[in-house]
Amino acid sequence: MKGTKILVVDDEENIRLLYKEELEEEGYDVELASNGLEAFEKAKENDFDLIVMDIKMPVMDGIQALNEIKKVKKDQPIILCSAYGEFKQDFSSWVSDAYVVKSADTDELKRTIKDLLNVK
Amino acid sequence: MNPVEILGKIIEISHSNLEANSRISAILNIISQEMGFEEVIVFTYEKDKRLTSSYMNRKSTLFKIFSAYRCHIGEGIIGSVAQKRMPQSFTKRDVPLRLGCLFYPELDDHLERFKSFLFQPITDDSFLYGVLFLASASKELIQDHEKILTSIIAREIGGVLQVHKLHVSSKRKINELATLSELGKLLTSHVELPLLFQTIGLIVTKATEATFFTIRLEHKFLLNGPERFSYGDVEPFIKDYILKLENEVWIQKKTLSIRNIMPVLPEMLNGYAIYSTPIISRDGVIGTVTICGTKNRMGFTFEEDGQGLINNIANYITNGVENTILTSKLRELIKELNKAQKRAIEQEKLKSLGEMTANIAHEIKNPLVVIGGFANRLLKKAKLTHGESRYAEIIVKEVARLESILNVVLRFAKEDESAPCKPCNINACLDEIVYLFNADPGWEKVQIEKEYDCNLPPVVCDIEQVKQVIINIMLNAYEAMFGEGKIHIKTGRCEKEPDRFLTISITDTGGGIDPAIIDNIFNPFFTTKEKGTGLGLAISNKIINNLRGKIEIINKVGQGATFSVYLPLKNGDYKEELI
Repeated sequence: MKGTKILVVDDEENIRLLYKEELEEEGYDVELASNGLEAFEKAKENDFDLIVMDIKMPVMDGIQALNEIKKVKKDQPIILCSAYGEFKQDFSSWVSDAYVVKSADTDELKRTIKDLLNVK
Repeated sequence: MNPVEILGKIIEISHSNLEANSRISAILNIISQEMGFEEVIVFTYEKDKRLTSSYMNRKSTLFKIFSAYRCHIGEGIIGSVAQKRMPQSFTKRDVPLRLGCLFYPELDDHLERFKSFLFQPITDDSFLYGVLFLASASKELIQDHEKILTSIIAREIGGVLQVHKLHVSSKRKINELATLSELGKLLTSHVELPLLFQTIGLIVTKATEATFFTIRLEHKFLLNGPERFSYGDVEPFIKDYILKLENEVWIQKKTLSIRNIMPVLPEMLNGYAIYSTPIISRDGVIGTVTICGTKNRMGFTFEEDGQGLINNIANYITNGVENTILTSKLRELIKELNKAQKRAIEQEKLKSLGEMTANIAHEIKNPLVVIGGFANRLLKKAKLTHGESRYAEIIVKEVARLESILNVVLRFAKEDESAPCKPCNINACLDEIVYLFNADPGWEKVQIEKEYDCNLPPVVCDIEQVKQVIINIMLNAYEAMFGEGKIHIKTGRCEKEPDRFLTISITDTGGGIDPAIIDNIFNPFFTTKEKGTGLGLAISNKIINNLRGKIEIINKVGQGATFSVYLPLKNGDYKEELI
């Protein structure tokens, strides 16, 4: 588990903090970005094992960032993690590897991350 | 009096303001007294081309005999004078037996007394009004000046008769117009059909002095009312004839008298007049109007002019009936429209409400995730005291509750098109649900009864959503019964054209819903439960509406409520199932 690099992208500082603590507790190395553009820049330059991406963000939203990153790194695993379920139906979100509805209970997110990393 | 005086007197009388009958009688009496004729009788020419003895001088004895038979035009001397419009005179010697008409046998005993006879046609230049008959017991021969004088008098009588005729027919027309105007007024009012027909009956029987009036209508135009509206009464055997006549009118599509369909009338019908006329609308004959009365009653108009009157009445009624039918159809449509409008407003309300809710929910979601997430983290710290960890636990639990409410709200606000619709077996789905509830210890005291239609076709729907609806209704029932009672689940089909539905009815014994709140139970955020979100039934309703079905409630206060879910069946699915 050590050495697995995860990029958490969210515009809300507290959410970033929560995910960072939760995921670091799981043993991952967590890096943070506060919008889609920042995430795209970081993803281009670094190799992340996984990206957890919020959708509604300023500057560049998560879906746009998802598509930009996938254009550059086709095999980069990305989990969309949004407060809203309805983006599931948005076909532009389908290129993501998983979709998790944001919740105070982070178990589902952790489980999804584990599953994706194992497949890889 | 000399002839000039006589004529002067007669002209004076004929132009007086007396009634026609009195004027003619007075004239005849003057002729009798002043000119020495014992018999002075006026025969009037009627529409049926027969001559009726109508007026006489005071002393006349022959009038009674002439009253027994109305001779035809051309028949006997009276008839031929009328036909040829030429006067004739006879003496005792050359007068024909019974005045040429065999139907006056009683004349045999009376003609002997008279020495001379004179017959004057009553005409003006174009019309024949009748015949003036004079007989004298004293004159051997009727002089030429007497013939001239009586012909002038006959012309004068003709004038009186003409005016009288016009008077009578105008009176009749006025009566008819009054009737029709009354009908018109009635028909433009917006009374309901039964009352309308009853009032028409009253007006028509009053105007025509008929004893019975009946309207028969094709059933579909009555919107579930009775088929016949009658006014007045008639002997039962006549009703059979009326029915026969109506059927014939229906076929021939024109006004008919009972005489038209039965050349030889049974004796029972003598003295009765029955007319029937079709009510013809754009769709063809939709009914008949029939009127029946006794002929010999005074003022009974439709013996002669009745056909015209009854035709007019039928036309009026046709318009009235059509108007009334259209009006009631219109009312239905307006009702529909109002309903649709209400639905549209409701939907608009829901939509804006939905949008607002979605926005709020979104705004709340993130902070909630943060609060709950960190509370969770706090909870995992080993260092917390018992009290602190309980507090954290409460925060986590409450956040979880808020999140679940938000999820429900968001699902409600957004059109959720999750799973595709597939043909599903409703009975099996219900069995699954019942199994779940039966396994729940909290449901121990609830008895669930099943009454399935085993031949239900599969219904196309998102079964998970339908399950959610059923579970919701079951949970409501459970709460209404405070966890103790009976739930009856019934499936079946409702095939009211043009829609066909599969129905799931769930009946509880929870005492029913308070009528004061029943209109609100499908409204979002309406709840009677302490912990309810008020979205259960609103979402259920929305799910079923999306499937083009509906939820109906039968509420028996004091007993329980039945929620019926209607899911549409398509013809195609039905066929598939048959194959």
